[in-house]
Amino acid sequence: MSAAPPPIAQSVIAFNDVSKFYGEVLGVNKINLTIPPGITSLVGPNGSGKTTLMNLMTGLLQPSRGTIEVCGMSTNDPETFFRAVGYCTQFDSYPKGFTGFEFVYSFLRLFGWDHAESEQRAWKAIERVNLVEAAKRKVAGYSKGMRQRIRLAQSISHDPRVLILDEPLNGLDPLVRAETIGLFREFASEGRHVLISSHVLHEVDIISDQVILMSNGYVVAEGQIKGVRDEIEEHPIQVLIRCNKPQMLASKIFESEHVVEAKVHVDGGGLLVKTRNAGEFYLMMNRIATMNGIEVETVAPVDDDVQSLYEYLIGGDEGGSK
Amino acid sequence: MIMNQIMAVLRLEIRKSFFARRGLWIYLLAALPLLMWGARAIQLQYRKERIRNSISQGATREKLMSIKPGMTREQVLDILPSPSERNSFRRRDGIRRERLSYSDGTLQINAMLEDDKVTRVSTDHGSADVTEDTVVFAAIFQFFYMRLAIFFGCMFVFMNLFRGEMLDRSLHYYFLAPIRRDILVVGKYLAGLVATVVIFCGSTFLQWWALLMSFAPQGRAEYLDHGNGYGHLFAYLGVTALACLGYGSVFLAAGIVIRNPLVTAATVLLWESINGILPATLRKISVIYYLKSLCPVEVPMQKGVPPPIAMLALNVDGATPVVAIVGLLALSAVVVFIATRRIKRMEINYSTDQ
Repeated sequence: MSAAPPPIAQSVIAFNDVSKFYGEVLGVNKINLTIPPGITSLVGPNGSGKTTLMNLMTGLLQPSRGTIEVCGMSTNDPETFFRAVGYCTQFDSYPKGFTGFEFVYSFLRLFGWDHAESEQRAWKAIERVNLVEAAKRKVAGYSKGMRQRIRLAQSISHDPRVLILDEPLNGLDPLVRAETIGLFREFASEGRHVLISSHVLHEVDIISDQVILMSNGYVVAEGQIKGVRDEIEEHPIQVLIRCNKPQMLASKIFESEHVVEAKVHVDGGGLLVKTRNAGEFYLMMNRIATMNGIEVETVAPVDDDVQSLYEYLIGGDEGGSK
Repeated sequence: MIMNQIMAVLRLEIRKSFFARRGLWIYLLAALPLLMWGARAIQLQYRKERIRNSISQGATREKLMSIKPGMTREQVLDILPSPSERNSFRRRDGIRRERLSYSDGTLQINAMLEDDKVTRVSTDHGSADVTEDTVVFAAIFQFFYMRLAIFFGCMFVFMNLFRGEMLDRSLHYYFLAPIRRDILVVGKYLAGLVATVVIFCGSTFLQWWALLMSFAPQGRAEYLDHGNGYGHLFAYLGVTALACLGYGSVFLAAGIVIRNPLVTAATVLLWESINGILPATLRKISVIYYLKSLCPVEVPMQKGVPPPIAMLALNVDGATPVVAIVGLLALSAVVVFIATRRIKRMEINYSTDQ
């Protein structure tokens, strides 16, 4: 006989009329959400309330009004809650003087596990983010992408049922970005919650099962990603690439039919590309870079176009909850 | 489980508390009295050497001891005609002053003369005076070490436990771990306590040892056997540890509640300084009240001492040792308890990004 499925409250993240005010300033207002397992993306421009929502969910902030339950648990019981929840914040800061391994390992000891268990879990998590070789180096000497990955390792090291990630793809190069996305998918396929925030719609488009659009502290749209996907595909995204041979890269990337425009940056150290399919573009760029010995330093979507896309999606009705 | 978690917090915090780059000045504060006692030991060594090397012709212990105030210059020179050192000068008052020093190799006497008459005779063995130096030790301990060095050392270490992590933006790692926040407070407090007790008690012990080494062997034995030397050591170590415990709790709570460490330091320092003139009830809500009561040697205040300094030494209605220890432990427990309540409502809001 198979086990009975858990009650619905035990398998969803539920916000009930949640508001957060910083004095007079609105953080988020009247949030009512029920988030099922799978990959859910919280999308909105900077200052829309994504981080506030995640911080409320994990108890880093207390709601001014309303209640939040994560799979039936509350942050009032941190010993249970944080065994099931992992949160990778966007704070790019670390305890001083730690190596990558020490950072992950030391916080695992807070779970009450002994040295052997904590060590084994730390290495497993570091392996999953592909950072084994740098694990014994000080975090202070890591690149931005490596720091992002070690934070990710720290947040998954205890194998959480709910993984919350604030802008997790920031600063990652295309290859690592693909690996990281694979990791999220793996988590979600095991029936867990993966909640990702991003201000770049195109970024989460390819990985999300559902999306929550936020603007000015309100949820303005939520549901399956499919509805907004068509709009996104029609709307070109701008990507800034810093590399050592921008002219060569510019000459090659027009092999992709999705590339609309490419401009070499005025400082000669990069180029700005407009594409209708970011996912395919990243793959193609990787291939070109490998074949032509181009060293890509960073790849980052540029906000401007996304902002206009929001305006298009959200329209004039930014103020109300849906 | 709770013990495991406290140990994990200790492991995370201890290195930071001991070796914070911004906190190396704490070691300097702790070492200052030690440096002073070290310098004194070197000076005494030099004096002893000088006494040994300046033996006066025909000087014996009896002859040296026979020189008394009231003798004339001629009488002194009749007994010991060749002083090892002689200084004379005349001041504006017209009195001719002279110093005649004699040494037998282990003892030096200095006869001070005014208009050819001995007014004062001092002796110098080239070693410290037990009574005088234990009072000097007590004064340095109470007015510098306890009130400033330990105070500011604890302020840095304990305020850094939470406020420092808020500034470094790394406190959220703790808040996202499956550990109760009150347990976190206790773990961090213990880490701060271990660091400050090791640093400051270590320095207290070395200061006492340097003091002991500055005594002549006879004085050393006298201090340890009859002068309660070990009792003093035990008391000073206890006061140091209790100071870390008391100030630690105050600054731990302040680090959680108050943003500006300078305002906190100034307020607590002022409160502790005026303790002697506060009403009896308020006096007990301070750390220094209990610490002063536990200090083993009282510092006598001489006439002419500026009122602010005299106020620091004032210990009206001091508590008995048992009351002082229990009172300080209770005060610290209450303050740490307040901190554990406050931390439960603490939010992480490093940036303006919402």
